[in-house]
Amino acid sequence: MAGGLSLYAEGESLLHRAHPLTKGALTVSAVALAFILPSWTWVLGLAFLLLALIVAAGVLRRLAAVAVVILGPITLLLLAVQGFANPANHTVAFALGPVVYYREGLAVAALAALRIGCLVGATFLFSFTTKPADITEALLQRGLSPRMGYVLLSALQIIPQTLEMATRIQDAQRARGLETEGSLLRRARAYMPLMLPLVLSSLVATEERAMALEVRGFGLAVARVSRIDFKDGLFQRTLRWGLLLLVPVAIVLRLARRW
Amino acid sequence: MSGPALLFEHASYAYQGAALESLSDIELSVAEGEWIGVTGPTNAGKSTLCLLGMGLAPHFFGGRLKGRVTVFGRDSLAVGVVERSAEVGMLFQNPFTQVSGARDRVDEEVAFGPECHGIGRMEVAERVAEALALVGLEGLAARHPSDLSGGQLQRLALAGLLAMRPRLLLLDEPTSQLDPAGTAAIFDVLASLHGRGVTIVMVEHRLERLSENCRRVIAMVSGRLLADGPPEEVFNRLSVIERVGEPVYTGLARDAGLPQPWPVTLAGAVVAFGTRRA
Repeated sequence: MAGGLSLYAEGESLLHRAHPLTKGALTVSAVALAFILPSWTWVLGLAFLLLALIVAAGVLRRLAAVAVVILGPITLLLLAVQGFANPANHTVAFALGPVVYYREGLAVAALAALRIGCLVGATFLFSFTTKPADITEALLQRGLSPRMGYVLLSALQIIPQTLEMATRIQDAQRARGLETEGSLLRRARAYMPLMLPLVLSSLVATEERAMALEVRGFGLAVARVSRIDFKDGLFQRTLRWGLLLLVPVAIVLRLARRW
Repeated sequence: MSGPALLFEHASYAYQGAALESLSDIELSVAEGEWIGVTGPTNAGKSTLCLLGMGLAPHFFGGRLKGRVTVFGRDSLAVGVVERSAEVGMLFQNPFTQVSGARDRVDEEVAFGPECHGIGRMEVAERVAEALALVGLEGLAARHPSDLSGGQLQRLALAGLLAMRPRLLLLDEPTSQLDPAGTAAIFDVLASLHGRGVTIVMVEHRLERLSENCRRVIAMVSGRLLADGPPEEVFNRLSVIERVGEPVYTGLARDAGLPQPWPVTLAGAVVAFGTRRA
């Protein structure tokens, strides 16, 4: 069944079945490399690699929808700011009367947008192919305390859960006649009647959930039995360490000015 | 049998920072295997009674406890809530805040408690299957908890407690947010558990339901016990009816001018009104 309040998208791809920590290492490594790699060609290569993984995981359409919403405004802003105002600008790309757009700025903006695209692609690829509970379980198996594990899981799920609660409150307030759409002023007026119950119900829910967890023995000092057997062979372990090692190697190479 | 499941000895309790006591001088003994109903108006102390039985008061809430609360012979002050959770379970009103939020499937959610107790995987699977069957959710094992209705979610919360195999269940208005079908399902599960010897203390406002299922009812007002006895006796006292309310059949009989004892259940009402017609 699809993942309820998380971003997880059900699937059977190799990436879906990979160990959560391997996918975590891939994400960390890809995000870091996107900003460490020095040139167009390298970052473009990383972007194509990520795209291939996204296609293989079967989440291209879902990710494209998110990417357009996030990357669209950022890219437009970068193109405008860099193309018009980058201090290194000197080669004119085009001019509309007194307004001049420069090639150097365009190149900087495009590279920055590509780097951010890699970041978005890598993090959402991870979110779409990994259940939050699996990440926590994998970390618990590596010695993370159950309390910290729960905090991590809550942090991973807080946005979708809060959005769901906000939608419920919004529907309830609308049913009582509160107008939540229309002009900016009208939306601003609706803000307090929505926010106050959201904050209060979040606080109450937190206390009730804390009690419910204690009643079920959460935090009891006993030896924990692993819930899931993740497949984690030599290949995955080697891949994980290899991916993580790429980051310091790339940093050293850049510092050594080889790139 | 080894003494009462739950024992209050002159127990009084005030929440932290509260000037007034929420419970005052409670004397109550619940035997193992009993199913007692607790009723009363707002601020009667019903929820506090359950919280004290579970140990959440004072362990979670702080506050002052005078007298003594004992669960299966052990003083509530000496045993923490998480330790007590192996033999006592508590179900709250709101089904939405009782799921852990840490599991993606109904069966995994039920397994959460036993896993916290370090129970082995084979036994956890056995307990989960048993608990889901008891509450009638076995067909929804693969669903995400957030996809369930309020009634199903409350049954899931109950299954989560049953997987711990508690000897005592404290239920604080578990049907208050449920529709009639959801309420009926919860009472069916409880009747089955009672048949297996589980001790149940249930706060409930559906008095005819309580009267049909519980052989003992306690009525509370302002933190004190007002009445304690079989429902036929408790709801035939005007002093109780005026302050706590009455089962719908009792009210009908009174309105119809029937003499006491007034009926408290449907079966009793059929007999009472049948006798009158004859």
